[in-house]
Amino acid sequence: MPDFNSASLILALTENLRENQSWAGETHLQKAVYVLNRILRVPVPFTFILYKHGPFSFDLRDEIGWMRSSGFLEWEVRSNYYGPSLKTGQLGPILKKQFPEQASRHLTEIEFVAKRFAGKNVASLERLTTAIFVTFDEQTPVDKRALLIHRLKPHINIPDAEAALTEADALVQAAARQFERAIPAA
Amino acid sequence: MSNQIHEFRDPIHNFIKLDSEERNLVNSRPFQRLRYIHQLALSYLVYPGATHRRFEHSLGVMDVSSHIYDVVTDPENVYHDSVRRLVPRRGTTHDWSYWRRVLRMAALCHDTGHLPFSHAAEAALLPNGTRHEHLSKAIILSNEMKPVFDQLKIAPNDVAKLAVGPKYSDGKFSDWESILYEMIGGNVFGADRIDYLLRDSYHSGVAYGRFDHNRLIETMRILPREDQETEEPELGIARGGLQAAESLLWARYFIYTQLYFHPIRRIYDIHLREFLENWLVGGRFSIALEDHLKMTDNEVLAAIYEASVSPKANAHEAACRITERKHFRVLYESNPNDQKINLASVERVFEAAKGEFGPENVRRDNYTSPSASEDFPVRLRDGMITSSLTMSKTFSDGQGPGFQVDSVFISPDSKEKAKQWLKEKKSTIIGEGA
Repeated sequence: MPDFNSASLILALTENLRENQSWAGETHLQKAVYVLNRILRVPVPFTFILYKHGPFSFDLRDEIGWMRSSGFLEWEVRSNYYGPSLKTGQLGPILKKQFPEQASRHLTEIEFVAKRFAGKNVASLERLTTAIFVTFDEQTPVDKRALLIHRLKPHINIPDAEAALTEADALVQAAARQFERAIPAA
Repeated sequence: MSNQIHEFRDPIHNFIKLDSEERNLVNSRPFQRLRYIHQLALSYLVYPGATHRRFEHSLGVMDVSSHIYDVVTDPENVYHDSVRRLVPRRGTTHDWSYWRRVLRMAALCHDTGHLPFSHAAEAALLPNGTRHEHLSKAIILSNEMKPVFDQLKIAPNDVAKLAVGPKYSDGKFSDWESILYEMIGGNVFGADRIDYLLRDSYHSGVAYGRFDHNRLIETMRILPREDQETEEPELGIARGGLQAAESLLWARYFIYTQLYFHPIRRIYDIHLREFLENWLVGGRFSIALEDHLKMTDNEVLAAIYEASVSPKANAHEAACRITERKHFRVLYESNPNDQKINLASVERVFEAAKGEFGPENVRRDNYTSPSASEDFPVRLRDGMITSSLTMSKTFSDGQGPGFQVDSVFISPDSKEKAKQWLKEKKSTIIGEGA
């Protein structure tokens, strides 16, 4: 059955990303929902695995597809050189009006993620969120985790993987300082 | 035994070839079972020609996936160092042949876990969270299949990963494994999708499902997503294949709307599920492999006919709805005008109809197809890589996302009364509390 509450949350996140000047493509949204759920523990019905450009949810991909076919979201081609963005669709305002609860309950978490993702392109989001995923998955020292990232994604070199791991730690710490529900920093 | 080449005649791909070692897999019990699983469940009650089985579809997926592999690993078609590092070189390494064989066998095995009548009742009739992919994986990793894979000199784990994909695998996927999986199950133009669109179109007579798959395959490439400033590779196409890719998207749209979402076809799935819930022990399929391998459409069809002539049988009513064509009729469908008033309009009508006519006379069909991405890399003639959405209005405005159906059905005996009732009450029902 359609989950309008979860769709409303995704729509609010998309709008917040755009307000913060994020490109707001599908990859941006995937990674933002991952952080929202994994670090800030906002409940969403999606399971993430390490796949396309880092943590990826097939369920979320289907949800975004459903939201597009329902008119809640739509593509916007903003450049001939860069992938498309998502924006509010024709029925988006109706969704927000009829199902406002979930989005307003988690507005501060949404804003936290949207601000931190604002200037990031796909490549940097891929590095950062892969680092978060590997950190939670493998309780090993930085050099081992960096090697694992490089092995899984050979186009990410080891210095970049190490930098991403440091950034991931900082993000987890910032979340823990601001939100009681967030995953505690190591 | 000499390793000979064998051929299957096929209406879609003409000849499908495999060698003797690969044929051992085709001859295995789990694969032969697919001869008795209809590709499109009870669709043949609406489209009489749609009697084809998972067996020939799986052969087709094997054939298409190996064509894709040959094209995208051809050194002439590899342009980037990051991709060159990923792709085994043809003829020079063992890896190239190894992965080709793994891919072909994964394509053959990808549907072995299907229940009788394929997707018709999968979500409701398996234990919570279990899908046919879990059963496919268990079959591939079973003792029964081990000698087959030993002879083929490939690891069952590798086959399982490519057959069921990352969503149903435990381990992490490398970039190379992700690309290989996309060749079979990719949600843009994987071999599975290419074959089922062409095959379902051919057998059902819904001619819109055809597209130039040969052109599409010839133009497939592994491309880094430079348009997203990352070198992570994806399966994409050269510019010359754009129209073939567009026509696949339209084919998918037409096949979904004309065939898969035909309302009578959909309600037969519901009646079939109801029959199975009443007929199966405990109302669910067993996921023990031996039980799974013994259960095909044949056993279920025999039981449906038996129940339909036995008024005291548990599943008698559901069986008669199928054999005597007493299926429920559409009462109400989701539509944009009503959604603007209340997004949950179908839910409202469903609940109100149950209250008025009794739950036994009302059914709801709510389903969204898996989403298809129209965003994939396209290599332009000058070598630049861009998103398909910047190149084509068909993709940016088109019919790519999941298709959805949300309908309320009513029993044939209540149809006329229910239509009149809805005409009088609809605005009150969907307007309440909006």
